[in-house]
Amino acid sequence: MIENRPWLTFASHATLLIGIALVALPVWMALVASTHPASAFGVGHIPLWFGDAGAETWGTVLFEKAGNGVDTPVWFMMLNSLIMALGITFGKIAISLLSAYAIVFFRFPFRNLCFWIIFMTLMLPVEVRIVPTYEVVANLDLLNSYTGLTLPLIASATATFLFRQCFLSVPGELVEAARMDGAGPWRFFFDILLPLSRTNIAALFVILFIYGWNQYLWPLLITTDDAYYTLVMSIKRMLSVTDGDIAWNQIMATTLLAMLPPVAVVIGMQKLFVKGLVDSEK
Amino acid sequence: MTDVILEKVGKTYPNGYHAIPSVDLSIEEGEFIVLVGPSGCGKSTLLRMVAGLESISTGELRIRGERMNDKEPAERDIAMVFQNYALYPHMTVYDNMAYGLKNRGMPKAQIAEKVSDVATMLGLTELLQRKPRQLSGGQRQRVAMGRAMVRDPKVFLFDEPLSNLDAKLRVQMRVEIRQLQRKLGTTTLYVTHDQVEAMTLADRLVVLNKGKAEQIGTPMDLYNKPATPFVAAFIGSPSMNLINANLTEQGVKISEALTLPLSHAFRGGIVWGIRPEHLEVSDEQNADFALRIQAVESLGAETLIHGKLETESGHGEPLVVRLSGPHLPDINSLMWLRAPVSHWHLFDANTQQRL
Repeated sequence: MIENRPWLTFASHATLLIGIALVALPVWMALVASTHPASAFGVGHIPLWFGDAGAETWGTVLFEKAGNGVDTPVWFMMLNSLIMALGITFGKIAISLLSAYAIVFFRFPFRNLCFWIIFMTLMLPVEVRIVPTYEVVANLDLLNSYTGLTLPLIASATATFLFRQCFLSVPGELVEAARMDGAGPWRFFFDILLPLSRTNIAALFVILFIYGWNQYLWPLLITTDDAYYTLVMSIKRMLSVTDGDIAWNQIMATTLLAMLPPVAVVIGMQKLFVKGLVDSEK
Repeated sequence: MTDVILEKVGKTYPNGYHAIPSVDLSIEEGEFIVLVGPSGCGKSTLLRMVAGLESISTGELRIRGERMNDKEPAERDIAMVFQNYALYPHMTVYDNMAYGLKNRGMPKAQIAEKVSDVATMLGLTELLQRKPRQLSGGQRQRVAMGRAMVRDPKVFLFDEPLSNLDAKLRVQMRVEIRQLQRKLGTTTLYVTHDQVEAMTLADRLVVLNKGKAEQIGTPMDLYNKPATPFVAAFIGSPSMNLINANLTEQGVKISEALTLPLSHAFRGGIVWGIRPEHLEVSDEQNADFALRIQAVESLGAETLIHGKLETESGHGEPLVVRLSGPHLPDINSLMWLRAPVSHWHLFDANTQQRL
């Protein structure tokens, strides 16, 4: 629908600008705050323009220990977060691809039951099953390990469902043509199915990476060793100092750093993401 | 040498549906066999059983003497062209054609040579680096055929390959398929519901009806001597006039007033048939019967006249006459017709077999 009404254009642009301001203002304030000394926040007004302590704050945040009881530098926690997020993302994609492949293309008893059981786990996110999951992970001796951070979060009903829908739209003749061409199950999976679901995988990658990166409760629960702290949970930890000044400037800088990877992933994969959710080339 | 043998091949689905009771067919090397029939007659199922995409419930399939029932499609040394082409959308034309060879472990240089040979033959050389979605329907069809041809299979299988093309292209591709097949000399099994396609392509036709092979023979056999009323009606366009009648001492009794003289030993209910092109216009004295004209289709080269047999009660059987050249008779007028005995087809009404 194309309409040519000037006030409508004006109104829609105004709405968008307000929206941008709402989203961007806190980010802007965090950026500004990171350039002021920590004491600047106690005095009653909030600075809106850059101060002169920027180099010092960022230097501390990037290269020294995070402080406030956290003994690892921020870059190291970023690395931990990255390992966890990527582990969860790739694990989820691999497992969902395989389970969707089995459910769609293979005939075995209770196929549909299997699918619905997987589907029902949608109702059981980590927060709901956190105590038993913790128990299992603890018994397996996986506390304070990357495996413990990622493995319990890898099963994904959403991704399985998405890939199932994607595979169901693959025409049956294509499967048969591949069979005639002598492609066994693995060949078919890697040569035909994976390239065909490329855009869906990319779209899921974006969603799952952000999901993995933003994990808070689970890492908080199972890591007690500083070497495995992730960035998102550490920000909270940096806040909880008993008396003494909270280093707001450092916290703001860390927050900005924590926002960077998801933003980079979204921007970098924007095209594929939209394509994967909207169109199908089959 | 007999290339493909279907021996009492039957298909029963797990839900108990008896799609194909039993089909016997032996195909000579290099022969072009067309399976034809109305939709739902089991022709595609039969082809897919030969391809190995459907299991064979009963009977045996042999290709070059080797039992194929339990072999994977890729091991049967066959190639299939699908109705929707089934090209891999993410691969170039070259990769589409090369994929089957790659899976067989053929060396790369040899693959390149084979693909370029076939591409030259089909006029696809300039398109080799394109993706299927950048091709027109006819070009996709060619690529699908090329993919089948590079593998040098013992048998080609075609599953209604032309039904997605427009009418003009269909005629062109039909001729092309026939020429290619002659040139390559590969045994071919071709499924279609279009009887014109079937007649023009086939060395031999198999007319299927409800999973049963009604008749197997050359196109002219089927046209001249259809074995059953079903084949008679299916082959030829417009289809044969078939009228239920009785064979008595006087001849073929079509209605109370109309009996066509014939001496035949058979007595009882029959189906009497004559093709529209075999009816002749005549004058009143020599005519066998009169036709009350209801509709005229003028096609220039020929004219189709639809009408009803003229009877006292006014409930005559519908009949079509095909005349060459333009004719413009009046609607509702009477037309006198002769039906030469030599062109009659008689079928037993009970057994549906030719007399």
